[in-house]
Parts: sequence; C-alpha cells; structure tokens
Amino acid sequence: MLTFGRETHPWISGFFAAIAGCIILLLTNTYGDVKFHAAECVSVALSYPEVPATYVRDFIKFGSGWVLERKSLNERVEMLELENRAMAEKLQRANIAVPAPKGAFINANVTLRYPEEWWQSVRIDKGAEDGVTRGAAVLSDGFLVGRVSEVGNRSSWVELITSSAFLLASVVDQTRDLGVIEGDGKGGLKLSYISVERNVRKGMNVYTSLISDRIPPGIPIGEIISLHGEKDGYKVINITAGAHMTQLYSVKVFTGAKITK
Amino acid sequence: MIFIAVLWLLQDLAQVTLMGICVVPDVFMLCTLFAVLLPRMERTRQSRFIWLLFIGELLWDLRWTNLPGLTSAVACMLVGISCIIWDKIPSQGRSVGVFATLAFVCEILSSAVYYFFWTFPSAVSQRLIIVQQCVAVPIILLLSAAFWEKREIR
Repeated sequence: MLTFGRETHPWISGFFAAIAGCIILLLTNTYGDVKFHAAECVSVALSYPEVPATYVRDFIKFGSGWVLERKSLNERVEMLELENRAMAEKLQRANIAVPAPKGAFINANVTLRYPEEWWQSVRIDKGAEDGVTRGAAVLSDGFLVGRVSEVGNRSSWVELITSSAFLLASVVDQTRDLGVIEGDGKGGLKLSYISVERNVRKGMNVYTSLISDRIPPGIPIGEIISLHGEKDGYKVINITAGAHMTQLYSVKVFTGAKITK
Repeated sequence: MIFIAVLWLLQDLAQVTLMGICVVPDVFMLCTLFAVLLPRMERTRQSRFIWLLFIGELLWDLRWTNLPGLTSAVACMLVGISCIIWDKIPSQGRSVGVFATLAFVCEILSSAVYYFFWTFPSAVSQRLIIVQQCVAVPIILLLSAAFWEKREIR
C-alpha cells in the first residue's frame, strides 16, 4: 500500500486504522440512529448465513436442557392442571361457563443482547411474519419478562421488565391490590402505588392485571422480596422477577388477539 | 485474503453457536497477526491485511458489541505494535516462541479491553474471559505450528 508515493510500514497502517476506529466510535456514539441502522443492516445480512449455526445451537441447548427441564416442567404442568381443575369447578358452581383458551404462544430465540443495554432490551428471532405484534407479552419459564417494543419482518425487539422505561399495571395475588411494576434499569423491579394502609407482605406473588390491552391477565411476574418504608403515601416494594433474567436464551411470545375486557 | 474473510464468517458462526456458553477468542485478529508476521511478507500486503482486519472488526462490532470501532481500533493497534516489535527483533530472534508470545499478549489485551469497556465486571464475565483465554491457547498453538512450518530455514 502506497502513501504519498512511498511504501507504508504496517505499523503506520495499524496506527491510522486505530485512529479511524476511534473516530468511528466517537461518531457512532454521537449519532445513535446511524449506529442502530448500521447494526441492523449487518445483523439482517448475517441472519441468512447464521441460520445453520442457530439450528446447531438450538439442538445443543435442547439436548442438554431436555433432561433437566423435563422434571420441572412435568411438576409445573401437574400443578397447573390441578389449579385449572379447581378453578373450573368453582366456575361451574357459580354457573359461569368455562371460556375456551384464547391466543397462543410461539417460541423465539434471543439473538442479541447488548451488554450496555443488558437490563433494557433483547432481540428475538421472530417477527411480523410469525405473528408477533407490538406490545405482545413475552414470557420465560412461565413468567413475564417483557413486551415486544419493535417488530421487524423476521425479528423483534423486546423491552424487558427490568428496563427503566417499563411500566405495567399488575396485581398482588393474595390481596388483589393493584399497582404498577417498574424496572430500575439495573435488574431490579419495584411495585408502585400500593397504599401504606394495605396489608401487602414479603413473599406475596405479583401477576399481570386486566388493565392492559395487549398483555393477558394472570401471568406471573415475580414475588415481593422486601418492603422499605413509604414514599408519598405509598409503600416502597421491591420485587424479584420470577424468570431468570440473566439467562434469557429462549422465550415465548403471546400471539393472541387483543385482550377483550 | 479470501481465507481471512471466510475465517471471519466462521468466527461469527462459532459465536452464534456458543452464545451463552462462552465468548470466542478473536481468531480473526490472531490469523491476521500470523499473516502479517510471516517471513517475506511484503509491506504492501501487510498493510492490506491490517485494513482488512479493520473492516472485519468493524463488522464484528456492529454485529456483537454495539460499540462500532472499539474492536477495530484495539485490534489494529495491537497488530501495529506487534509489527513494530517484530521489526525491532533481529531476524535470528524471530522465533515461533516470540510469535506465540505476541499472539497471546494480543489476545489477552484485546480481552482485557472487552472486560473493562464492554462488559459489567462480574464473576460471570470473569469466567467468560477465562474460558475465552483457555480456548485461545490451542488456537495460538496451532498458529504457532503453522508458523513453524512457514519459517525461513537459514
């Protein structure tokens, strides 16, 4: 390679390349949109050759996780069946017809999770072509982990419940108190707007409530782990997410129709 | 050069396959270092390899790190410094051992930059970095063996 008609030393190329890298780093951090679009272009272009590797990864994970998951899933299915039977009995005694299941879930793999946005969002490999819609609930291990925030044709972005921008109406199962789940952007969750007079205690479970047009009610979110005094007349309640938020490799996306209240 | 480009894709596929298990070592940078330090390599081709490394690492950043330019800058700087050191060493001293040392130092330093700038310092990221270095060892040994094959017989 010639510079000003002279042969360039490789270390000079290395030096200039390093400077170019730093300039690109500064520019892309200044213009976030450019970075986002460039990263999307590269990801989309690579999604085609990466398909076989994704299948291999899924196969390895499926094989290794199958034995471990089977036992816990069987226990969970058994527990849910018992719960379902008990609820169906109660509905029948109250002369209420048992509704048919609505909607469905599709399995999706997490394809990208940026470290600096670790608690904010993840990208999954299912999009509009697979029936994913904006605002749809996303679950892992049966617990809510977020909702779809952006939908592409073959991929979508999921806003995690730990994101600082995440707000969702929820209910404390044991007391039926309504509150709002908020992420803190650092992996923590808070339950806000529960009045200080309410008898909410550590260990109680938090579920999604009916007050949401896309996320179905009754999806478990997590458990109350601590209560720290009060602020503006409301309890300060910390929640732990039920799902393993640090181990999100595959999730389920709710593809049901808009929830009817 | 086509081989290096294919290697980049293989590294990407390996990272997709091993996502969540470990971070693959920067084989692309190590192979570029190998190509650049080969005996009788022309300076023109060396410079081309470095710019190819820059483009490859930029694509890697766009695919994996979300910090476009960071890996490019670090990798090109490391390979550039390795070239300076290699040039300063008398030709008799340019052994496989020196190559392996340079490759290993480059790999460790590039991982260290990841650790401090890209990840949250934690026990999990420490484990990932250690596994990455362990995976890098046989690759460096293989490259060293290839370097031994290509060495100049005096």
